[in-house]
Amino acid sequence: MGLLDVFKRATAPLSRRMGRTEASEELFDDEFQRKLDYLAMVSRRVFSGAMRAERRTKKTGSGVEFADHRDYVPGDDFRYLDWSAYQRFGRLLIRLYEEEEDLSIYFILDSSASMGFGGGQKLRQAKRLCAALAYVGLANLDRIAIVTANDEISGRMQATRGKARIFRVFRFLTAVKAEGATDLGDAMKTFVAQHKRRGLAVVLSDLYDPAGFERGLNVLRYNRFEPFVLHLVDSADARPDLRGDVRVYDCETGDEREVTVTAKVLERYAAAYEEYLEEVKRFCVGKQVSYFRADVGVPFDELILRVFRRGGFLR
Amino acid sequence: MHLTGVPLTTLIQLGALAGAVVVVFYILKLRRRPVAVPYSKIWARILKDKEATSLFSQLKRLLSLLLQLALLALLLLALGDPRSAASLVEGRNVVVLIDASASMQAVDVAPSRLDAAKAEVKTIVRGLSGSDRMLVAQMDAAVTPLSTLTGEPSDLEAAIAAIRPADAGADFARALRFATDTLRGLPSPEIIVVSDGALGDPADAAGPVHLGDVKLTWVKVGVRARNAAITSFSVRRYPLDKARYEVMLEVQNTSEEAMDVELSLLGDGQLTDLTRLRLGPHEKLPRFYPNLSGASKTLEARLALADGTRDDLPADDHAYALLPERRRARVQVVSAGNMFLEAALLLDEFLDVTTVAPAGYPGKGAFDVTVFDGVAPPVVPGTGHTLYLNPPPGKDAPFEVGKLVEDDDASYKLGFDELDAKHPILRWTSLSDVNVARAHVLKGQKEDKVVGKSQKGPLLIAGRRAAGKFVALGFDVRESDFALRIAWPLFLLNTINDFVEEDTGYISSFRTGTVWQIPASSAAETATLELPDGSKRVVPVKEGRAVFLGQIAGFYKLTTGTNGSAETSLFAANLSDPAESTIAPSEKLEVDGRAAGAVAGFTLGVRRELWVYLLVAVLVLTAIEWLTYHRRVTV
Repeated sequence: MGLLDVFKRATAPLSRRMGRTEASEELFDDEFQRKLDYLAMVSRRVFSGAMRAERRTKKTGSGVEFADHRDYVPGDDFRYLDWSAYQRFGRLLIRLYEEEEDLSIYFILDSSASMGFGGGQKLRQAKRLCAALAYVGLANLDRIAIVTANDEISGRMQATRGKARIFRVFRFLTAVKAEGATDLGDAMKTFVAQHKRRGLAVVLSDLYDPAGFERGLNVLRYNRFEPFVLHLVDSADARPDLRGDVRVYDCETGDEREVTVTAKVLERYAAAYEEYLEEVKRFCVGKQVSYFRADVGVPFDELILRVFRRGGFLR
Repeated sequence: MHLTGVPLTTLIQLGALAGAVVVVFYILKLRRRPVAVPYSKIWARILKDKEATSLFSQLKRLLSLLLQLALLALLLLALGDPRSAASLVEGRNVVVLIDASASMQAVDVAPSRLDAAKAEVKTIVRGLSGSDRMLVAQMDAAVTPLSTLTGEPSDLEAAIAAIRPADAGADFARALRFATDTLRGLPSPEIIVVSDGALGDPADAAGPVHLGDVKLTWVKVGVRARNAAITSFSVRRYPLDKARYEVMLEVQNTSEEAMDVELSLLGDGQLTDLTRLRLGPHEKLPRFYPNLSGASKTLEARLALADGTRDDLPADDHAYALLPERRRARVQVVSAGNMFLEAALLLDEFLDVTTVAPAGYPGKGAFDVTVFDGVAPPVVPGTGHTLYLNPPPGKDAPFEVGKLVEDDDASYKLGFDELDAKHPILRWTSLSDVNVARAHVLKGQKEDKVVGKSQKGPLLIAGRRAAGKFVALGFDVRESDFALRIAWPLFLLNTINDFVEEDTGYISSFRTGTVWQIPASSAAETATLELPDGSKRVVPVKEGRAVFLGQIAGFYKLTTGTNGSAETSLFAANLSDPAESTIAPSEKLEVDGRAAGAVAGFTLGVRRELWVYLLVAVLVLTAIEWLTYHRRVTV
């Protein structure tokens, strides 16, 4: 190892902190958009297939499937009077049909500082995954809404539908910066309060929540949202390039700890990191929350296909 | 325990200062490098375990401080050079006499006895204790101290390495006197003799050596004695036939077994004679080679075993000699005619004789010697040295020619009544019964030498004037029976040789181990002597002789004067010492009635200087600290 390498290693963490800016211009280029078209073609309406049966409303609507009867009250639409029942029972009854609602998909993008750590690879990959899934949803005429969350809901894109709105999605995502601390619990409480219409909540986060990742997901579950966790992980986080006596501080909270980093300590850290990932997975599986671990080291094309296969999105 | 280095008070001050610095460094911790991490909670998980052992960590840090203070204490103690009280009084003062005489060149122990002796002494040096002091001296014909009385092993080892073998015997008495003088008044004195023990009786002109309270120990070197030697080697030219020479040598078998040897004689490097001899145990065999010719300068005798092997001491298997140089002397004879004179001069073919009548003097050219027969003309330049035979009274001779005395007294026969037999011109002659009919009494100056004298007065004188040497004989040889004797031509040739400084009694070789008086012809105060090994020494010249204690056999070159007028002479030196050729190791060494004991108390590797061990302890602790630091045990 030369002197230059030693210098590079010594200054590596600093350069990482300095290099958080993202190349947003290249985030959603033409090539990316072509990939989205391809994905839209090969995907099927998994969201609707999965959701429609559970989302049938009891109110009358434009549906075709009979649901129930109720007594006629003045003001009801005469078209829904069941004349056969009147002939049989002598009562005016209104036929109720299930209404077919369009699906609401919420993308909750973690925009805390930890997502921008190490060159911002996690946030960049999260944005691209979010855009890809949103496009598929828009192409299937689902209602798509995006919120960014750190310790609060820091940004919001109103619900929209239709493929043409994808550029709005792009603009919104491009403007997202990694900053602030993570508190998914508080952020999700705000989210559920603001969004009465239940639906699928796709959480794109590294789940580095000092208060515990479980709180945020539980808030979604308890409020009858359907959480889908896309866990962004960076293998560099498992193997930090550290050696010697250092003072480590949390990039979000500033929490400091003195540690002498040795090979043995690094081994123990890697084991603890792996245990944390397994803990997340165990929680999601146990609570029947859809979970997918997205490694930022995997190329985007391969990663999105894995997400689709894992979620059963591909035909 | 005593501190012999830095005093205790200074050590305490130094310790306080350095200890304070160490503690301050311990308290002042280096600021750690801040590094951002994405999620400190994972670090908190692994550090939780470490925090559980924080007490142990603090202990380790305290241990690190204690270790540093311990290192400091050890270093300070080393500076103090602590010695035990026993060590302080036990310091010995030792003089090691290493025998470097010719017998130590024997190769019965590989590579040689001297090298084995050096190795033994090195072992002794390594076993010196901290308070011991030692002096190493080379013992040969002289005694040469090669170090001071020191306890420093490197100085002593350098002294041991400087020891060179000599082709001479050892002056044991002188070496013992030097050692006892050196050790006088010192505590625990000891003399260690490292030798084969063939040192002879330790006594000199002042009597036997007394050791007093000095302890004598002996390291014996050598195992066997299979040796034959050339113990004498001499050569001389015949006075009347200087082209020929004779050689006398003696070979000796100094061992207990018979030997077949080959004796070679080489003249100017060419083999002149080869003889095969059988030598019985301890047999001495003289050999005489008469009437040799051929060589003009160098002679060498070599001895080798007939079976092709070599004996244990090669140093005495050869001997060297130089023949006196010959040159043609130019002699002018101023005579009206003298058959006896002319006949005698014909005997030496190296004389270039020119005869002139008295009226024809001076003859053409320059001469080394002029013989005035019955005349004494004024001496002109180019005459050279002069021999006056029967000089007439007058003022031109460099001496006074006195009254005429005749053999006319019946009770007294005129002749030489007193003779200086040691004078060079009378060598090999007998003139005491020469009969003289008449003669002139000669009277020289005060510094002139009367060589032959009758009761009537001096008849033969010799002296030196500004023009050169002169010799005067006060009678006509034809008026005596001197001319009929063999002494006459000898006298004549001796005189000419003395004039031209060609010595027929030339010492063909010097003996090593003695002080040589080498003739130096110039009046210089110093001369340059080139030794057989090529090295050069400036030696003093006293009364025409260079003085040097020679210890190496071989050919030497003596140069006197400066480049312009440098005079060079060659001579040879030989061991020629039967005592040194007798290389059988002694069974015991006895001095002053006491037998030398074995060397004891020089155990290899046990040094009593504690500071060495303290430094070793510091090194060990530093190594442990280094190892544990890199294994992250103490961090």
